[in-house]
Amino acid sequence: MAAEQSKGLARAREVYLDRSRRAKELRAEGKKVVGYLCIYPVLEMVTALDLMPYRLFGDMREPITEADSYLPTVVCPFLRSCLDLGLKDRYDFLDGIITCHICDVGASLGGLWDYAVQTPFSHHLDTPHTLHETSLKQEKAMVVGLKEALEGFAGRTISAPALRNAITLHNQQRALVREMYDLRKPDPPLISGVETVRVIKAIQSLPVQEGNQLLREVISEARERRDGPRKKSARLLLWGSILDDTALVEMIESLDANVVMDDTCVGSRGFFSDVELTEDPLDGLARYYLTEIRCPRTFRSRDYMEARKDYMKDLESRFSYLHDYARDWNAGGVILESVRYCDTHGYEVPGVEDYLDSVGLPRTYLEHDYTEGALAPLRTRVQGFLEIIG
Amino acid sequence: MIRIYFAGIDLGSTMTKIVILDEEGQVLASVISHTGAEHRRLANRVMEEALGKAGLGIKEITFVLATGYGRINVPFADQQITELTCHARGVASFFPNVRLAIDIGGQDAKGLKIRNGRLLDFVMSDKCAAGTGRFLEVIADALGLKVEDLGEISMRSTRKVTVSSTCTVFAQQEVVNHLSAGVALEDVVAGLHDAIASRVARMVRRLKVELDVVFTGGVAKNIGVVKALEEHLGCAVLVPEEPLFSGAIGAALIGKERVMQALDRGEVLPTRERRLEEATFFG
Repeated sequence: MAAEQSKGLARAREVYLDRSRRAKELRAEGKKVVGYLCIYPVLEMVTALDLMPYRLFGDMREPITEADSYLPTVVCPFLRSCLDLGLKDRYDFLDGIITCHICDVGASLGGLWDYAVQTPFSHHLDTPHTLHETSLKQEKAMVVGLKEALEGFAGRTISAPALRNAITLHNQQRALVREMYDLRKPDPPLISGVETVRVIKAIQSLPVQEGNQLLREVISEARERRDGPRKKSARLLLWGSILDDTALVEMIESLDANVVMDDTCVGSRGFFSDVELTEDPLDGLARYYLTEIRCPRTFRSRDYMEARKDYMKDLESRFSYLHDYARDWNAGGVILESVRYCDTHGYEVPGVEDYLDSVGLPRTYLEHDYTEGALAPLRTRVQGFLEIIG
Repeated sequence: MIRIYFAGIDLGSTMTKIVILDEEGQVLASVISHTGAEHRRLANRVMEEALGKAGLGIKEITFVLATGYGRINVPFADQQITELTCHARGVASFFPNVRLAIDIGGQDAKGLKIRNGRLLDFVMSDKCAAGTGRFLEVIADALGLKVEDLGEISMRSTRKVTVSSTCTVFAQQEVVNHLSAGVALEDVVAGLHDAIASRVARMVRRLKVELDVVFTGGVAKNIGVVKALEEHLGCAVLVPEEPLFSGAIGAALIGKERVMQALDRGEVLPTRERRLEEATFFG
């Protein structure tokens, strides 16, 4: 097969451009494919059952038409786009779907999907939004519930060794992603922001073993390459909501800037810590998926309670990792981005801005419509920002 | 001695402006023209006109800096810089103490925070005609008026009405409703100016309003909007004599500064074969 002859960055690009191809091939060979929304579904259990996890994305190049009959136009365009693609049979190769309570619209998407798209198996995770001890108990209950539901769907149980093996494989993937991100630390970086988006999206469209193989190829290719990104005046950190298309990063990198680090959910957010292999593996999984993913959808009350009487301490406890990223990746400015109507990220922005101001990191905020064409006017804002920090 | 000259071209969404400066910073020529669909052809034409006025040939221009929405469509430019930076520089050349500049053009509104002539931060309106020159053009057209007459008409107002929505389409409906209810034209127009000023004032407050406040762009020629903006900001608003040219002048000045700094460093000016050839998007 031509798709399997190419390797590394070329292969990542191919998968990025035709991401369902491998899932369809494997399905034709008898493997069941389980779609998942957001980074909270416990992929280790999907892998342990020899099912293929396949992340649901929208398509900012496809106008939303069908979904408008189910969701109002003034809600997250990414989630509207996901549903739209489902309604247009673009996810008709999925045998199952796992949704979770990302936000209120995300939560309602599971029900709408069942009603209108009707993928054979579906399960919704009511992932807690706080970090109290009771939240951890609830998350554990959710993880147990998902395990039982997946076992029922697959018609077999998850053995302890299979689950441990899956945890190891997914932790390997996280470590490989971090290794790839380390290649963005030199100046110029060895791998561009656009290439990173392609690779991350590609590995979320492949079985974990194939994703890991792809990452190894990309890492060794990038280390040796002579045609990498060129040195530019600005090195930027990108923070924000879902970015499942290269368009925005492409626009930024077409200017005098390299995007060298990100904190987005199709980027570092799902890969920057590991699942602990606990005696009962479900404990480690519950703890990881509740506490280790730093997304604004989780109110980090544990941090907040310690700092709640002091706004700046509160900001420090929530966002100091961004300062660490900027320091370690030598980023001189931060672009905050959010899709329009994403309250989850929108409400976080003033706090992030205040924190970045307090540590002297220049920043600018872009809100976009999750359409490729609407990104062009943002070019002036990014270029203006670069002129200010340059 | 060889004289050197600089051109700044601001290809805005509605109007294209060009300025030619000499090395003392004196304006030798300025031209303004409507921006059409064919940016590249227009850029050439406006440049030729400006060169004619200045009595210069294109080869005598040392540095051309393009700015504005169509800045990438100026084939003979040496550099492109955003209108944010160029407006800030241009406004500071008219009013050195400026701390907040407000520019309302055909397609968007901008607020610029400036210190010592340098841009520090900015805000821009979203992709919506409300609060822009286009809003006034659409309403003027609906009322059968010339957009340039709106300012004077509004000054006759004694009881301006409230236009609750600055969405261009809905505001148009409100205007019709007010007129059919017998409200005087000048009171309706004053209400429209108030709606624009209120929207822009809310936006620029994010940058903190500090004197001097300068207002530029095509809408700054409308005395009604100037007055309304002063009311909403609670301070005097300065308007340059030629409020449309701040971007082009800023561009020419930045170009001049870059060349002068290079000469001070003893660098030899790069010579560039510059031709005003016809270029077009349409085959």
